Amino acid sequence: MRKLLATLCGLVAATALFAIMVLTLVDVSGRKFVDTSLPGALELTELLMVAVIFAAMPLVSLAGEHVVFDSLDALMPPWLRRLQQALLDGVCAVLLLGMAWLMWVKGGQMLEYGDTTAQLKLTLGPFVYLMSVLLTVTAVVHLMLMVHPEPHHHAGVGDAPGAGGGAT
Amino acid sequence: MTEALLGFGAVFLLAVLRLPLAFAMGLTGFVGLGLLRGWAPTMANAAQVVYDTGFAYTLSVVPLFILMGNFVARAGLAHELFRAAFAFIGHVRGGLAHATVIACAGFGAICGSSIATAATMSKVAYPPMKRLGYADYLSTGVIAAGGTLGIMIPPSTIMVIYGIVTETNIGKLFAAGVLPGLMCAAMLMAGVAWMCWRDPSAGPAGERSSWAERWRALRDIWGVALLVVVVLGGIYGGVFTATEGAGIGASGAFFFALARRALTWRVLYEVLVESARTTAMLFTILIAAMLFSSFVNFTTMPADLKEWILHQGLSPVMVVGAMMLIYVLLGTIMEELSMVLLTIPVFFPIVTGLGFDPVWFGVLIVLVVQIGLISPPVGMNLFVLNALLKDVTLKQIFRGVWLFVAALVVALAIVLEVQPIAMWLPSFMK
Repeated sequence: MRKLLATLCGLVAATALFAIMVLTLVDVSGRKFVDTSLPGALELTELLMVAVIFAAMPLVSLAGEHVVFDSLDALMPPWLRRLQQALLDGVCAVLLLGMAWLMWVKGGQMLEYGDTTAQLKLTLGPFVYLMSVLLTVTAVVHLMLMVHPEPHHHAGVGDAPGAGGGAT
Repeated sequence: MTEALLGFGAVFLLAVLRLPLAFAMGLTGFVGLGLLRGWAPTMANAAQVVYDTGFAYTLSVVPLFILMGNFVARAGLAHELFRAAFAFIGHVRGGLAHATVIACAGFGAICGSSIATAATMSKVAYPPMKRLGYADYLSTGVIAAGGTLGIMIPPSTIMVIYGIVTETNIGKLFAAGVLPGLMCAAMLMAGVAWMCWRDPSAGPAGERSSWAERWRALRDIWGVALLVVVVLGGIYGGVFTATEGAGIGASGAFFFALARRALTWRVLYEVLVESARTTAMLFTILIAAMLFSSFVNFTTMPADLKEWILHQGLSPVMVVGAMMLIYVLLGTIMEELSMVLLTIPVFFPIVTGLGFDPVWFGVLIVLVVQIGLISPPVGMNLFVLNALLKDVTLKQIFRGVWLFVAALVVALAIVLEVQPIAMWLPSFMK
């Protein structure tokens, strides 16, 4: 289940990111060298950004890569750490579900107003729904972690290279 | 004022309880604004912030620069950089450590992450130093500190984030980082020289290379040089925006990795997913920081504090100096990105109110992040090295890094006092 979810989200995010890269390259070289821009490249990039960010969110949660203050971990007995982590995953899930609901409402409004992108006239509502769905998936990941925790290692001592690597 | 202080208190409390910082900031910002302004507008605002951050063309600069760095790291260009630096300076005392700093600076010009630079360099520079009998405290200290050049020398993820939240021109920030970055490199090399003078056995000299070898080594780094010239030169010269430059850079790095046969489907997928994950992590905290700052900005705190400080009659540089002191102290125990995002809503209006250039303040911010990343007890670069180099203890790493922390603090003081170091290059940009 987790593997399937990770692969699915990973594929979406990876494809979208690669597409942004290619799109920017084609658009910029088109404009600089042959004086023709790719119509709607800008808008497509924006839509793809949604896929990169929100499809990767479940992966961040799954890998436990959110920045946490973990200096007190060593002071706590393992059973308390386990309990704390379960509670925190619950809180994260609730917050994410709340955000997902807000985005669902917003998506509905945008659909109602018939908001589209400026150039390609793509309907925006479904993409906002997509945000909402992926936020829900992330919440589900936290609920899964609540029941069956991964041997989490948050950014900190003993960290693998690259975890959160690009941030600072 | 009280509301904002309560808000900061809540974030710290939630963080200490181990709620991820992004969630702590987002929740506090949301509840705080809801109580002050009413729930309906707050909910609308939250949805709008998420929407705007998700659908933002200019923000694609973030994943693209991260992607560029990750491709470059996989392509193995760091080896050539180190070899070239060694060919020129390896024969002096502590030569390998000097070469590490130079290679880090070069790598920093194509990678915007300090941690990635340190991680990459640990694989490239540590083994030869070990072979030549370098003391572990020197070799790990210099790799950890050299890694921080990754965020001062453009491109730089932290500059991009700063540029986004303060609406400062990213191209100008990049240009402003060049001279301070080179100065930091010089300071670190001075630190190496000092350590080797105190303890000559810590860093023996390597073999001298012939000029033929030097030219050959230089020829091997043409790829890196080309990428730097096109991307940074293009952004500086106004040929393209930072976002476009990032796209070109990522594509260029992709083709390099491809040409060097460093990419299999598996590796490509890993690089892409890793970059997307880092992006998502950053955007989560970015969205949260925006929610939190819309709360802080709704309180009277930024205005009150600004009023109060402006009426104290302190010299403006001293005010900024005090902020830097706070940052350096906070940086020893806090994660740096959240430290910056949490304080920007309060500090930034004061700095601009005092008449300083946001670009200059951005460079100072990067410097305190650099210092924070290598100052014990909590410094990400140190932890990364500790994880990667199994036979070196954290104690050894801590021992060697202090001198470099001091060197960067001196660099910070210089940039604070001599503003043209940062502001000279951007002054030529439109």
